[in-house]
Formats: sequence, structure tokens, C-alpha cells
Amino acid sequence: METSVKQQDQTTVVSITGSVDALTAGELTNLLLENIDSQHVRLVVDLGGVDFMSSAGLRAIMTSLKESRKHGGDLRLAAPQPGVEKILKMSGFTSILKSYSTLDQAVASFGS
Amino acid sequence: MLAIKPYRPLEGKRLALVIGSGAVKCAAALGLWKVLSQAGIEIDLLVGCSGGSLFAATMALGMDVDECIEKTQRLWNRKVTEKRDMTSLLRAALPRVFNFNERFGMIDDQAMVQNLRSVFGEQTFEDTRTPLYVVATDFHSGEQLVLSKGRLVDALRASISIPFIWPPWPVDDRLLIDGSASNPMPVDVAIKDGVEIILAMGFESSYPRSVSSISRFAFHVNSIMTNNLLKANFAFHNLAHHAEIIAIIPEFEQPVGLFDTSKFPYVIEQGERAMQEQLPYLNRLLAAESSQVK
Repeated sequence: METSVKQQDQTTVVSITGSVDALTAGELTNLLLENIDSQHVRLVVDLGGVDFMSSAGLRAIMTSLKESRKHGGDLRLAAPQPGVEKILKMSGFTSILKSYSTLDQAVASFGS
Repeated sequence: MLAIKPYRPLEGKRLALVIGSGAVKCAAALGLWKVLSQAGIEIDLLVGCSGGSLFAATMALGMDVDECIEKTQRLWNRKVTEKRDMTSLLRAALPRVFNFNERFGMIDDQAMVQNLRSVFGEQTFEDTRTPLYVVATDFHSGEQLVLSKGRLVDALRASISIPFIWPPWPVDDRLLIDGSASNPMPVDVAIKDGVEIILAMGFESSYPRSVSSISRFAFHVNSIMTNNLLKANFAFHNLAHHAEIIAIIPEFEQPVGLFDTSKFPYVIEQGERAMQEQLPYLNRLLAAESSQVK
């Protein structure tokens, strides 16, 4: 898994490529929580490059989602690939967080 | 014969295979198993629900893939739904006259019970080479019931008691119906057993192409409820587990009917493909130090 972080408008975009699983989820959780600690609580997780997400990956997203909301922000998903989107739907994630088909839509959803 | 290692609790990372409900689609588990056996990966625990329990049981007994296919085709074919249960239907039509009771099912289950007996005979859970759990639902309390003792025929017949289709089945002093009524993909059974890595193969029920009979109507409504239950439970299990659940969800572009056993080769192939996609990750996970697994 590789990650990159950038600021876009007033939103923090965390882009991921590769697999979010039991071997990488810890690293992702740390990265997202560090950003929240630094008051970057409006987060977009760009899943465009993610080819696989397991239960550990889902838990990383959930932990960060709750933390961002506790701090008055939100975590939104962008561009999940069909396989990942299926897992997100099956595990009920799409009913509790916002997911957009493109990164631009996800960033724009926070407004300015 | 495939090599399945004996039960060695707490020795390294244990691997479970959970096969959810899904009738003929559950044969995809044989494709998954084929991939694992070719890769030399052994399963420590098997959990089955409804149709999935039939495949889990044949695997747990140590049958190889070809034998499993032969046995399960013998078990699950159109003959098991050919005969209506006229007594049940009369009881439903005129409940007071014919004394309607809780043993209702539209299809006569004699053929199914005979098939189960011809494959499993008097074998019990104690005869399995790999520990096996079969999930059913208590008709009276609605609770999930995990069966791990007694005759396989009874546990399997109970687990496949599709509501409205086959009558509930008594086990000990309880009346049981299909495991999918409480837990269509019982990942929690493996979690509770302390397994670290869980391969979860589940299937959403397809809806009938047309709702042209009472049985199709019942099946349609049942599928809606089961699919929603599958998602709700899967959501909870994913968040509750301390280690890893790898969902193996085969894609079926061709329609696969409830008793469409002619599609076995296609279904197995799709299961094989779905497992092949996850095999590199599973290998990495099994090779990783325990401390690396989050």
C-alpha cells in the first residue's frame, strides 16, 4: 500500500494505492489519525487506486470516521473500484458514510 | 485425498472457511478449495450454513474435490423438489379442518432426507477430519443454533429447511429451520472459536425472474430478508473481529437457479477465480509474523 496526502481547498485528501488489509491497515489508521490530530478533520479518502479491502481495512476507515466526526469533521470516500465498492455496500458502510464516484465530487461535497 | 491437518488449536495462525447459504452457488466453495489445496494451504475449521453446510460437511469428512462434486450433485438436484407436500398444503388451505401445525413446508422432504442418508449415512460430527460447525435456527426462539455434535444428516437437514419450502426438522428437543433465517454467512462462529484468518464465502440470494406462484412469492420475500440479514451481520462481524476476514464473493454473470446443478462446473470455476484473486494476499498474510497482523 502507498499513500499520499495533499490539501485541496480546505479538505485533506488521502490517496491510497494497493491493498488495504491486515498488513497495511495499521499504517493507514496512523496516517488518518495523525491528520485528525493536526486538525485536518475534513478528510477525503481517495480509493481510486485500491484494488482490495478486507475487514482490517474497513476497521481502519471506521476508526478514522468516528474520530473525525468526534472532532467536528467528516471522512468521505472517493472513487471506489467495483470490487471495493461491493465490500463497502455489503458491510453497510455506504449507509453510514458518504461515498462519491469521483475525487472532485467528494472534495466539493464539503463546500468551501 | 486432500491433506487436511488435524485440529491443533492455538498453533500459529488458524484458517477457517465459512460457506454461507446460497443453494447451488455454494458449490463455488469447491473452486475455492481446489485453489487452496493446489497452493498447499490447509483449513483448520469449517463452518456451513444451509446449502453451504452440505459442502462444508463433505470437505470436513476429507473427500477430495471430485468426490465432493459427485456427492453434492447426488444430494442437491431437481428431484428433491418434485413432490409437493399435499398434506401441508391442505393444512394451509383449511387449517381448522386439517389441523395446521408448525411442521409446514410446501415440498415433500422425503427425497432430500433419502439423499442425505445415502451420502452421509450414520456419520456424526466426530467422524470429520476437520472440525465442522453447522448453523441452523431455532424455530420457536428464532435464535441461531450452532450444531457440532450428533448425526450429520440431522444437522444438515435442519440447516437446509428453507422456510415455506421444506418443513422444520427436529434435533434433540428443538425444532429447527434454515440457518439463513438467523445468519446467512455465520462468520461469528469462526470468530467465537478464536480463529485469526477467516475466508468468508457468501452469496446474495437471487430473486425469481417472475413471481408466478405462491412458492416463488415465498422465495422472493425470503430472499429479500436473507440478503438484508447477510449485510447486517457481515457489517457487524467485520468490525468485531480482531484479525482478518477475507470476503470471497464470486461473480455470477450467468443466472444460477436454486437447483440448477447443471451449472456446477460454471459455479466452481467462478469460486476458483474469486479465490485466485485473493490467494497472493492470503499467502502474504500466512507468511507474516503475527505482530504484523492488525
